[in-house]
Amino acid sequence: MMISGGIGGKQPSASSSKALTASGGGTSSWAPTTSLSASGKRIQREMSELNMDPPPDCSAGPKGDNLYHWVATIIGPQGTPYEGGIYFLDITFPSDYPFKPPKVVFKTRIYHCNVDTAGNLIIEILNDSWSPALTITKVLLAIRSIFTNPNPSDKPLIPGIARLYLADREKHDELAAEWTRRFAK
Amino acid sequence: MFRSNNIVARIFQRQICTPAPGTSVHCARRFYENLVPSFTIYDVECPDHSFRKFTDDGQYLISFSRNNQDLIVYRPTWLSFSCKEEDCDAHDLPSKARRFESFFTQLYSVSLASCNELICKDFFLYMDSNQYGIFATSTIPSQDAPATGGAIPGFPSIEKMTFHLLRLEDGVILDEKVFHNDFVNLPHNMGVFLYDDLLAIVSLRYQTVHILQIRDSGNLVDVRAIGAYCHEDDELFLNSNAQCMAFPDKSKLHQLPQNHVQNGLHHSQPNLEESFLSGIKQRLLSFIFRRIWNEEKDRTLRVQCLKKKFYFHFQDYVDLIIWKVQFLDRHHLLIKFGSVEGVLLHVSRNADQHPAFFAVYNMETTEIVAFYQNSAEDLYHLFEQYCDHFHSTSRNSLYMNFISSHSNNIHALEQLRSIKNKATSSSQFVKKMLGSLPFNCQSQSPSPYFDQSLFRFDEKLISATDRHRPSTDHPIKFILRRPPCSLKFKIKLGPEAGSVDGRTRKFSSFLFHPFLPLALSFQYTSFSQPSVVNIHFRR
Repeated sequence: MMISGGIGGKQPSASSSKALTASGGGTSSWAPTTSLSASGKRIQREMSELNMDPPPDCSAGPKGDNLYHWVATIIGPQGTPYEGGIYFLDITFPSDYPFKPPKVVFKTRIYHCNVDTAGNLIIEILNDSWSPALTITKVLLAIRSIFTNPNPSDKPLIPGIARLYLADREKHDELAAEWTRRFAK
Repeated sequence: MFRSNNIVARIFQRQICTPAPGTSVHCARRFYENLVPSFTIYDVECPDHSFRKFTDDGQYLISFSRNNQDLIVYRPTWLSFSCKEEDCDAHDLPSKARRFESFFTQLYSVSLASCNELICKDFFLYMDSNQYGIFATSTIPSQDAPATGGAIPGFPSIEKMTFHLLRLEDGVILDEKVFHNDFVNLPHNMGVFLYDDLLAIVSLRYQTVHILQIRDSGNLVDVRAIGAYCHEDDELFLNSNAQCMAFPDKSKLHQLPQNHVQNGLHHSQPNLEESFLSGIKQRLLSFIFRRIWNEEKDRTLRVQCLKKKFYFHFQDYVDLIIWKVQFLDRHHLLIKFGSVEGVLLHVSRNADQHPAFFAVYNMETTEIVAFYQNSAEDLYHLFEQYCDHFHSTSRNSLYMNFISSHSNNIHALEQLRSIKNKATSSSQFVKKMLGSLPFNCQSQSPSPYFDQSLFRFDEKLISATDRHRPSTDHPIKFILRRPPCSLKFKIKLGPEAGSVDGRTRKFSSFLFHPFLPLALSFQYTSFSQPSVVNIHFRR
């Protein structure tokens, strides 16, 4: 694997995330050490949980050595107009995670009624219905489910797409597939 | 079989023998062993221009005025003079013949620079098929330009940069393409690549590869811009869609113009650029992702693998910038990606230490076809064995196929192998060799005197690659590759060795005619002023 050598001489990540907890995140300045132990440990646990049993078409991992900043990838599910697309998402965990939901932003353009033109995603469980019992695995599954089942009725971010989805599904799918071809390959 | 080095014997032999199938050109080229530019006119009186290049078809000699305002084009002609006495070979050349003008006829002089733009004298591309020349003029780069409108911070900015398309036959300017507040790396044609009628211009500041087509009519036509978007109509598609998304109701359509200006595209565009991955990055990241995903079938191992090899480096991949580009064929680009620091260093000097990556990108399908790190052994093997495929210049003329490389020349390959064996670290060696990719466009002289199957010479002092070199007072020897391996001719930069003062550092550069035994050599004490111009030719 030729890219495994890495950029900028950083260490491979396998050890780095462990090293981070071991050292108590002493080198990082992005979160107070006290909250790291609570939220950091929780994120650690969710990471190993995700690694043990990754949901289909999904994967995620911390960006660099920052445990609070993740990238997730969702492969456009088969049978949907998003098939063939690779969607990258930014996931930011708040310092008081899991009491506040993580923030999820699409880095890949998508034609979807629940994703606004800046890539912000609004789904129930990431807002009002958030519960500390939810995990990153569940969040990924929920995001994946909006690929198969968009939610046009409940406060869609882009009413235009929602309306088209309800009125002319065929046309909607056609457009979504065109977006996939252009921006998500 | 007996082979004589005598030219008369060779001509007789040519008459009576048919060369082995497919070797007729090689056999004909052997005559260059007899016809060499061994005679030198030192310090010839010549116009004070900076001489850029002989065009690859040998039709024109390109030069720029010293103030970088005008283009002056010469036609190389062969020296002719009459001699009254007998045995005129024994005589010295008459003083009238020892002039620049007896070798070159000025065709025209055109003013290219305008306002505060100056000609970039290290940039020139030639389109063989139409005898079109591409020149660049630019204002002086400002180092501390604010990075506005999606520009990459750190790069200098050139207020105005113009590419001129000229018909060299008569010097008529056919078309222009202007870039504003941008930065294209022009020295040695680094940031621009010409393939057939396609021109790729790399905007470092805005991270866009502009693909232009040179039409036979003499027009520069924008074909596509690769960077933020991949398809030529992606932006149009997005904009027309944005309207539908924002204003789904037909009843509201009449409001469109106002809203369009107020909160529409102009305002939201910069935000969009920031939050979404650019088109080329999306392609690159999804290629890397897919490769790792498909490599590992086991689900849990796959996640581990992705975490280590992909997510950990995700931001580094996102931060990569397009550094240099070349065409591999009409559809495929070889793109070098690097870090901003690496590229900035490279602009001033070579920096192989910085990580760099190579991607092969298909412009038509907008797919990344391959991706390598600059220490990749497998890319090096391709480079070693198929070097000529990277030298994908439009080779219309036959003699352009004879530029020596380690893939077509056993001697060059031997040389490469010996460097490889001497190298202490194999990965350092690979990085160093791959550092030359993507190649500079039209940077090599097709002169037969650089054909390594004919001559051997010290590549530190002279080579087909057009570069300034440290100059020595010793003559540069061209030695026959085949027996009797004798010294055939020398290129001397001064009349006597160890001349005036040996302390000042001197530089030299050479312009060889693509097929005539004719060359110009220049010796500088500083880069701005040539001190000595010599003409080398076969008397």
